[in-house]
Amino acid sequence: MTKKLFPALSVLVLGGLVAACGTPGGAATSGGAGGADAAGSTIKVALIPPSSGALAQFGSDAADAWQFAADEANAAGGVAGHKIELIKMDTDATAATTLRAAREAVTQKGAKFIGAVMTSTEHGALDAQLAGLGALEFNGLGKDDALTGKDCKANAFRVVQSTSMDMNAVAEALAKLPGKKWAIQAVDYSTGHTSAKVFKEAAAKAGKQVVLEQYAPLNTTEFGSYITKLQQSDADALFAVEYGADGVAFVNQAAQFKLNEKFNTILGFNMVSEPLFKALGDKVVGYYNNLGYDVSSDNPLNQKFVTDWAAKHGGSKPYYVVADNYLAAQTLFEGIKKANSGDPIKVRDALNGLSFDSIVGKVTMRGADHQLIRSSYLGQVVKDPNGIGGLGWKIVHEADGSVTAPAPDPACKLS
Amino acid sequence: MNFAQVLNGIALGSLLMILSSGLAMIYGLRGVTNFAHGALYMAGAYVAYSVSTHINFWAALIAAPVVLAVLGAVLELVFFRRMQHRNHIEVGLVTFGAAMVIERVIVLIWGERTLSVDAPSGLGGTTSILGTDYPTYRLLIIGIALALAIGLVQWIRRSDVGLHIRAASHDVETSGILGINVDRVSLIVVCLGAALAGLSGALAAPYVSVYPAMGISILITVLIVVVIGGAGSIGGAMVAGMALGIIQTLGSVWIPSLSVLVPYVALVVVLLWRPTGLAGKRV
Repeated sequence: MTKKLFPALSVLVLGGLVAACGTPGGAATSGGAGGADAAGSTIKVALIPPSSGALAQFGSDAADAWQFAADEANAAGGVAGHKIELIKMDTDATAATTLRAAREAVTQKGAKFIGAVMTSTEHGALDAQLAGLGALEFNGLGKDDALTGKDCKANAFRVVQSTSMDMNAVAEALAKLPGKKWAIQAVDYSTGHTSAKVFKEAAAKAGKQVVLEQYAPLNTTEFGSYITKLQQSDADALFAVEYGADGVAFVNQAAQFKLNEKFNTILGFNMVSEPLFKALGDKVVGYYNNLGYDVSSDNPLNQKFVTDWAAKHGGSKPYYVVADNYLAAQTLFEGIKKANSGDPIKVRDALNGLSFDSIVGKVTMRGADHQLIRSSYLGQVVKDPNGIGGLGWKIVHEADGSVTAPAPDPACKLS
Repeated sequence: MNFAQVLNGIALGSLLMILSSGLAMIYGLRGVTNFAHGALYMAGAYVAYSVSTHINFWAALIAAPVVLAVLGAVLELVFFRRMQHRNHIEVGLVTFGAAMVIERVIVLIWGERTLSVDAPSGLGGTTSILGTDYPTYRLLIIGIALALAIGLVQWIRRSDVGLHIRAASHDVETSGILGINVDRVSLIVVCLGAALAGLSGALAAPYVSVYPAMGISILITVLIVVVIGGAGSIGGAMVAGMALGIIQTLGSVWIPSLSVLVPYVALVVVLLWRPTGLAGKRV
């Protein structure tokens, strides 16, 4: 039996390997260079979101947002007369796989623009190759400051706020929040340390004191010892930078220790967001957190976007990943319109310093570092019967992007 | 050092104790380094999530070990028994593959998003112990772990099946010659080991968040616990699990920036001091 099974299994395994390793390059090789510049031609945009791993859901939502934007544009007759075609590639969110997918999309499938790439590490690796590929990338997800700082690239445009912009918005609102003695609980990672540094400076300006500062390694799931130290401190407010599964574990364990009763304010940074509402539940009602997108904004473009999106998605409203990627597509389309061309070089030049009305209001693509200047928010979690998991946001502060965006890094050379 | 931090260490140690005892049982009898043990723990947490959502947490505490015991039976009958004469690396690789398959199936069923399970009603708050308010749910974990440890040790020491397990763990071939049905004993041990992984996953669900990578992140620690305890020793794994939980917690209080290294340092120190682990060859 085993002897019979083994060859059969071997054939299956080998077949699977061949299928997995087979190059999909033969599927499409259309779209040579320069084709996108001709009036009425199709402009191809490669989407490279993660399709597996912990970020797959965000990847799927990002691609969905680009598809929504492309469908909307095509239904309106295209962008400057060009039809938008999306080419979906797969990645596991590692830089090497994403680069391979980008090369294939550009060199074999004719894409000239790239979107829906997820992590800052992927963006960093991809951006360095864009000039050689002759393509532009629109970043709606990677927040690392360096992407528009020392690692900035002429062909890369960031639409989402940088970590510093988000943190400066939180710092701007700090004076409004109850609590004089603050504790900092942050992830022992660059984001945690950078956020804590900005927070301490803002706290000093606001006349607040930081009495405890502690860092938990990334992927910590047991926060008992940290929470006990928080409980035993004389802090009356907490600034927490724990995200993903770490953030959920921290919030759950904090609730079991009744930490919420000790603090007047719990201010999260990238800790609470709509995708985690169901997992976090009512435990986070009253928590404050930075917000990149205000779904309730009365801006007519946003209202139309939210209404149309909800109509197409069973009533569920867009959240920040969807909105930021829709905005990335909107930015590309504005560049094409201004250039009246699908040629990447002309679109790149047109985007430098371009201001336009968007779903998040009037925005400007800063020419010095290719960072989109847009507002950031501080929100408080409230109960909302129509929201995900029965929760929603109340905006308590809006910070102007021209104030929160640090001056362009002198180390950023786009030429 | 204060009492609350000691309790934190005991709570973490309790979880490691339950999880590592299952892994040690399987290694002791089958000689298999079961890299799928973390995935079994994760599967237990997901089963607990579904059952507690649709019925209640107490039902989940029963359902998760039962479902995982069935999965353990599949592992034993399909892989471990057929591969018992293959070398350890081959069997280890198969368990590694099984872990990947289990993780993918979990993602297909429950998705990629992080989930959480609420502590059962009445256990979500705190209880005062010697003047220290401590989460009641963590006290439940400590209680279950201690009861389980006592029960398991007594069962292995006093029952016929326990005697057979001890005998087969020392020498499978001689045990077989002496009339012990080693296949049956192995099936019991692997099912029980997987059930313990399921139980620890269910207990962990309200403690930590439920997400697909939760098994991988704890597997290394549990493997270290088993090696420190004395590879294959159930009692040794229990003692090592509790000790490591306490040491790791105290490490995160005293030397937070180096706390991630604590398990590895403990491993090196114990292996230098006692190369066969704390319990040596005792089951």
